[in-house]
Amino acid sequence: MPGSASTTHRPEGLIERLRSAAADGGEAKLKVLRELKNQIIGNRTKKLSYIKLGAVPSVVSILSSASSSVDCLLIQCAATIGSFACGVDAGVKAVLDAGAFPHLINLLSHSNEKVVDAGARALKMIYQSKAAPKYDFFQHKNIEFLISLLDKNNENVTGLGASIITHSCETNNEQKILADAGVLKKLINLLQGTTSQRDASLESFATIIKQNPEVITKFVGPENSTTFGSLLELTKDRYPRTRLLACICLTLIKNATSSSSSSSSSSSYLQSVGIRTKLILVLLELVDDFGQVGDEALFTLSSFIEHEEDLQKLAFEANTVDKLCHQMQKESLQAKRLEGIFTTLGNLCSNLEPCRSIVLQSPKALIIITDALTHTTTDVRVAACICLKNVSRSVKYLSAGHFMTEAVIMPVIQLLYDASTSVQVAALCTVSNLVVDFRTHKSLFIQSGGVKQLVELSKSMDSTVRLNAVWALRNLMFLVDSRCKEEIFMDLKLFPLTRLISDSNACVQEQALGLVCNLVNGPVDSIMYLFTEGLLLNTVGRELRRASKPQVLVQAMYVMCNVASGKEFEKEAVMQQLVNEDDNNQSIIVTLLQSDVASLRTAVVWTVVNLSIPTGAGALTRVVKLRNAGVVSQLKNMVNDPCLDVKLRVRTALGQSMTFGDFST
Amino acid sequence: MPVRMVESPAPSNSSGANYGQTCLQPCSLLSVGQAFSGTQNVSSPQKDEAWRVNVRIQGCDLDHGYLCGTMEALNVPMADTPVVTFWEGEIVDTKNYTFFTNKWKATSEVDIEHWTKFPSFSPLLSQVEVDGGKSLDLSNYQYIFMRWKEQYFVNVGADCGLTIAGFYYVCFSCVDGSINGYYYDPNSSPFQKLELKTTNEGRSGFSFSSYELQ
Repeated sequence: MPGSASTTHRPEGLIERLRSAAADGGEAKLKVLRELKNQIIGNRTKKLSYIKLGAVPSVVSILSSASSSVDCLLIQCAATIGSFACGVDAGVKAVLDAGAFPHLINLLSHSNEKVVDAGARALKMIYQSKAAPKYDFFQHKNIEFLISLLDKNNENVTGLGASIITHSCETNNEQKILADAGVLKKLINLLQGTTSQRDASLESFATIIKQNPEVITKFVGPENSTTFGSLLELTKDRYPRTRLLACICLTLIKNATSSSSSSSSSSSYLQSVGIRTKLILVLLELVDDFGQVGDEALFTLSSFIEHEEDLQKLAFEANTVDKLCHQMQKESLQAKRLEGIFTTLGNLCSNLEPCRSIVLQSPKALIIITDALTHTTTDVRVAACICLKNVSRSVKYLSAGHFMTEAVIMPVIQLLYDASTSVQVAALCTVSNLVVDFRTHKSLFIQSGGVKQLVELSKSMDSTVRLNAVWALRNLMFLVDSRCKEEIFMDLKLFPLTRLISDSNACVQEQALGLVCNLVNGPVDSIMYLFTEGLLLNTVGRELRRASKPQVLVQAMYVMCNVASGKEFEKEAVMQQLVNEDDNNQSIIVTLLQSDVASLRTAVVWTVVNLSIPTGAGALTRVVKLRNAGVVSQLKNMVNDPCLDVKLRVRTALGQSMTFGDFST
Repeated sequence: MPVRMVESPAPSNSSGANYGQTCLQPCSLLSVGQAFSGTQNVSSPQKDEAWRVNVRIQGCDLDHGYLCGTMEALNVPMADTPVVTFWEGEIVDTKNYTFFTNKWKATSEVDIEHWTKFPSFSPLLSQVEVDGGKSLDLSNYQYIFMRWKEQYFVNVGADCGLTIAGFYYVCFSCVDGSINGYYYDPNSSPFQKLELKTTNEGRSGFSFSSYELQ
């Protein structure tokens, strides 16, 4: 027959005894603390339950009132507090709210090593939580205290020092203060210690050097070459986490030194193909771990190869693409793993066509990537989108119409409506590539409502969204057939286009002018779009006189060039924009012909070539006007232009103008 | 005021550390979107025959010596519609590619035999015989040499009875955008000549379009 449970075995009973022990003292304290600790250790539910019942303040009260001579009581208090803080943010908060922090710090200077150890362990638990207070490195005494911790011959105390750094060091200034105080050397010394010391030390080391070339180049000089040896040795450690952390440190050193102009022995050291390949292989092996280590290994590998085609080649040769394509087909992958796979694949496909080919020839890879575009996690949607963007950098597959299918296009268009701006931007970048499609399939994108949303996003207040929306429209307009061109133009309307050409952001202007350039390219009738309301050419002309960014001027000049390849009245319209006889200032053509930017000079000379083509009723008049404006003289100065393209076009333009006679006499 | 024009010199032998490492300068007539039309002579001893051909440049990456596009053959006897193929080009820039093909069943003798058909190649011959042209600086030369290899049929199946097993030796003139080429396939009639000129699609002048991949 079941009996009623004694209240002393229920949490409420234990709390009652804890409170009375805290008030009365005696040996009961030790007993009840042990009991409480044994109940909560490794049990999150019980921790939360006791926190709710107010156990933590009682424990802290016992700690604060305990005599420093009762070592075992201090140890039990610290251990219980540490257990509450371990892995539970609410526990950390309760411990801090109860005022445990200064009492635990006091324990670190106790004469009994076991008490010190318990205090350090509890504090380490606190610093492993995001809820822990930020340590102020700007106080000199705090740095001194931190160094004293790292100097101790106690694993938990040095671990506490490392945890404080990993938790609190965030800014470049903080990194510099720690580096200047010699903390990096102390951490390197700890690499010889136990596994937990090594890992804690590597993590802190990574925190201090992260994206800080100044700290790295100062530290990783020739005098510290042994550090590399130690880090490289640790990439072969028997523990996966240690191998990972060593790879993270080496990746951070490589990335920071390759992005800074200063060279150091470290960067040259990491140039070795052998070492680079080894690092890639170590990380690839770690990727097989389906836990946190594997996830972090993927992001580390991705960061290691990002922006460096040579490294991407090495990773490709190590069969990374095959491995990831295989791994992404596994069932029920966690969001973090998917994000890591897409990010790494995306980097590999950013430059290398063979990588793209493997992804596109893998039976399910493209389906899995497009499925992930609708994933519930934002970061996965962004990573999948960027992966698709880089895979679609293949002109070969674009030309085969590989991407312009409903299965790919529809989910990407849907992402243009995503609530997250980062997803929208990633989707716009991807659309920019997909719509380059050279076959006659652009209509699928248009009929699916893509253009309307691009136009809508091109009006965004966010300049990144605006830029990428216009970029996508510009690429969509490239070699598009007349029917689609008309549909796009109808959606686009004139006013937004005029506004985009005059946008406050020069990059938006450049893309908008590129869009207009494509609009008036193709069948000669296309030029008429520019004259439907008579404003657009004026706007382009105004930007030619006003803009300073060469890329904007190049695009604007190619608009003029394309219009000048049209009929007589269209050539005349360009002349009106570029050569004003009533204006005593130097002609804009001459000014731009004198530019240092070869591509701009090329665009201008092409425009002059089109304006001076000898056939046509107004050709002579135009050539005379160009001569009067000083254009022909300027061209004569350019017959030996250092740019071959410019030089050849100058000869054509001069040859054409001279068919009407040499005006030099 | 008349100015004497300096004629483009023959390509120089570069020396020192920079040799063979200079990218070609961009040529606007060989940029994406540009179209060319002309013929390919496919005559055999039995019959004189030429197909009308249109070419469009779709991709250009000078850093990697890469060019690609489509080629449309218009009056192919055994096909009901124009046959479009996608081709990829290797630009002989002496950095990414030399005059020696080293693949596609082309020996260096075959290479020289085809390249010498282009008059603009003659100043380069002696050096190419030595090292495939590796030490030549072609960055200021008015001609661009390439190999175009068709990769797949765009609008017909691979079983259409036509072959794309061979490749073209191509010479592009930066001066006027004209293209000359010779098809090489050990199993096809030798030296089928490709002749293309830049087209202006009904315009009175040159027009340009562009895209940028992200």
